[in-house]
Amino acid sequence: MVSGSAGLPPEAYAAALAGMPGVGPARLRELLDRWSPVEAWEAAGDPRVDVAERWSLYVEGGVAVHLRGSAGYPPTLVDDHEAPALLFSVGDVGVVDGPRVAIIGSRRCTRYGRDVAFDLGRDLARIGVRVVSGLALGIDGAAHLGVLAAGDGAAPPVAVVGSGLDVVYPRAHRRLWTQVAEAGVVLSEAPLGARPEPWRFPARNRILAALADVVVVVESRTKGGSFHTVQAADQRGVTVMAVPGPVRSPASAYTNELLVSGSPPARDVDDVLVALDLRGRGPKRKRGSSATAQPPPDDPHQAALLEAMGWQPSSLDQLVVRTGLSPGQASVALAHLEVGGWIVGQAGWWERDSSTH
Amino acid sequence: MLAIVPSATLLGVEGRPVAVECQVSNGLPGFTVVGLPDTACREARDRVRAALLSSGLTWPMRRITVNLAPSGIRKTGAGLDLPIAIALLVANEELDAESVAGMAFIGELGLDGSVRRVPGTVPLVEAISTRTVVVPLECGAEAGLVGGPEVRGAATLKSLLECLKGEASWPDVPPFKAPASPPAPDLADVRGQEVGRAAVEVAAAGGHHLLLSGPPGAGKTMLARRLPGLLPPLDRDDSLVATRIYSAAGLPLPQGLVKCAPFRAPHHGASLVALIGGGTGWIRPGEISLSHAGVLFLDEMGEFPVSVLDALRQPLEDGVVRVCRARASVSFPARFLLVGATNPCPCGRGDEAGCRCTVHARARYARRFSGPLLDRFDLRVVVGKPDVDELLRGGRGESSATVAARVAEARRRARERGVRCNAELPARLLDYSVPVTPSAQSLLEHKLRTNGLSARGLHRVRRVARTLADLAGDGDVVGDEHVCLALSLRAEPRLGDEPW
Repeated sequence: MVSGSAGLPPEAYAAALAGMPGVGPARLRELLDRWSPVEAWEAAGDPRVDVAERWSLYVEGGVAVHLRGSAGYPPTLVDDHEAPALLFSVGDVGVVDGPRVAIIGSRRCTRYGRDVAFDLGRDLARIGVRVVSGLALGIDGAAHLGVLAAGDGAAPPVAVVGSGLDVVYPRAHRRLWTQVAEAGVVLSEAPLGARPEPWRFPARNRILAALADVVVVVESRTKGGSFHTVQAADQRGVTVMAVPGPVRSPASAYTNELLVSGSPPARDVDDVLVALDLRGRGPKRKRGSSATAQPPPDDPHQAALLEAMGWQPSSLDQLVVRTGLSPGQASVALAHLEVGGWIVGQAGWWERDSSTH
Repeated sequence: MLAIVPSATLLGVEGRPVAVECQVSNGLPGFTVVGLPDTACREARDRVRAALLSSGLTWPMRRITVNLAPSGIRKTGAGLDLPIAIALLVANEELDAESVAGMAFIGELGLDGSVRRVPGTVPLVEAISTRTVVVPLECGAEAGLVGGPEVRGAATLKSLLECLKGEASWPDVPPFKAPASPPAPDLADVRGQEVGRAAVEVAAAGGHHLLLSGPPGAGKTMLARRLPGLLPPLDRDDSLVATRIYSAAGLPLPQGLVKCAPFRAPHHGASLVALIGGGTGWIRPGEISLSHAGVLFLDEMGEFPVSVLDALRQPLEDGVVRVCRARASVSFPARFLLVGATNPCPCGRGDEAGCRCTVHARARYARRFSGPLLDRFDLRVVVGKPDVDELLRGGRGESSATVAARVAEARRRARERGVRCNAELPARLLDYSVPVTPSAQSLLEHKLRTNGLSARGLHRVRRVARTLADLAGDGDVVGDEHVCLALSLRAEPRLGDEPW
């Protein structure tokens, strides 16, 4: 018996075991399936490690530790064939109960994908659907920003991350990470201090898929990380929906492929509610009441530019060629469109903006 | 006996007068050179001895001491060979002191007695205060550019001695052999690229630094190479400075004075010293000085080391670069128009054309361009691959000559404001020189309020708008079109760590 360990909960041993080098999710589950955490620690643990000291990190960090099957462990995960033996959480793990939709997609998304993810996140949260996502750059972050923007009474966000809960990755999402933990819960199967190693992300994606009732892929390139989540969802019989994108947009290549192979399309929150069997709970509004129905601007130059832009990012050069305007004329019209909130310019590219209309 | 012969040595791009003193005295035979010579200069001993012997002269078996005064400054290069030889001959009484009175000498000696060219003839001759200067025959025309002392050329030591003794007449200095230079690339060759062409024109007219970003094959290099053809010929002052720099760097001056705006395009493997200037011993001007009053083009700018790029910031601001070394510190003029070309990301495709780079590779690439450096580009333009239709069927655009005429007119207007070009308009004069229409003002305010523009960015946009109005031949008030185009031509950079 390790000295000074009396009175420690079994989770302390399990957490210490998870932090051992060479103990991954599969090995941990094998050990904890055979033995109780204390026995497992005595069998495979390193006697030089002070379990109590390790445990104090979790207590001080406000990180809850859940053994599979214990009270705090999400019930949906318990029976999964690849369920993590141990789950760490920051925030209220109880919020996981309820209908859940995973919104996933490319880290490098277009404004279109970002807007759709944001809208889906916001609208689903308002109806009481938990949005599960990975806190990654791009689509993941946009979906959770949407949830946070949904206002009071909205369903809390649920995040599943790949690194340890004290290792914020990506660092650009530090603020979002804290906000999600405050409003909802951040889950991970990685012990404190675990680096965001590449192998952890496909492993994280299986938890995302196992937690979700429906997986919505917003934008993904052919070889994106969404592929793993979709595979894991298919294995578990979870519905995978895809947001249709422009056929020429590389960022939508994989989602369009999913649609071809039979995934139901997710055009907006209503489509997702149908898949969740929550039809009728959506906001009362006509489909397509957003930017597409907005009256076009009066100025002929501005209208021509919007027409030429479509929903693809375009450079001044391309717009000049497509519209036949001079660079000066096009610039004036673009500036007015930007003031009017029709378009957003960044790094020399202009894109139509749907979020403000 | 003692002999003193005037000459000069090079420090940076300036010549410093040097007096070569030689004493031949009784004592143990030997030859020493004192007065802080560098290695090339110290080796003069062996070259002078061999040159004298090959010219049919005898080597005095006496004690020879050469001093290069003032002994405090470092003497570089082999240009002091000839004055050392002459001083030795006078001190050894083989040459009459009267025959070299009022004469300075510059030149390197070959072992066969030939007189070879030296770098920096122009600044060296400028430092000479005597009536006559003798230079290597092939440098004669270059030396004549200075318009100071009378220039005499010497092909070999032997023929020089004959001329000095009055046994032969001085050879004629050959004029510049101006080789038929290939015609400068014409802007009319660029198909399509209306925005890129406009950007190059604005850069030439206003002296605005230009960053072109686009996929490979978009024509970034093609556009940049047409920029010098749009710039007006150098004025007399710039021409002299540029000539001095070229001469000091040892570059050939086939046309005499540098009259056209220089265009330098160093490869991205260039070291800091190659770009900024420096080197051990002889401090050479770098690429930024060689492009003084012209264009410095950095192709594949993202591939340059970060340290090299950041070193450009101070010269960009000051127009001079001060190179400090343990032994000397030198100021080089470096007022150049910076044109950068970069791919949007390491794979070159860019977001919009199916980029395959990882998020991190892109962030790393973006970090190469530090904020302060990017900020110095008034024009940041995205160029795309031209349309197939435009490439094959589009008519030729305006020729360089047409655009150059507009550029010259815009530059003339800038001079009326008391600056060389609009990029140099001081911030305090902007309200006076660049009045904008109320509607343009409100667009600018919107940009400022939505963080689309920084305070410094606002100044730069106004300068570019001024240039656009000048090019269009509009009046004093700058209209919406110019302000908006100036905004469009200054694409805010994509941040590497934005949360999206």
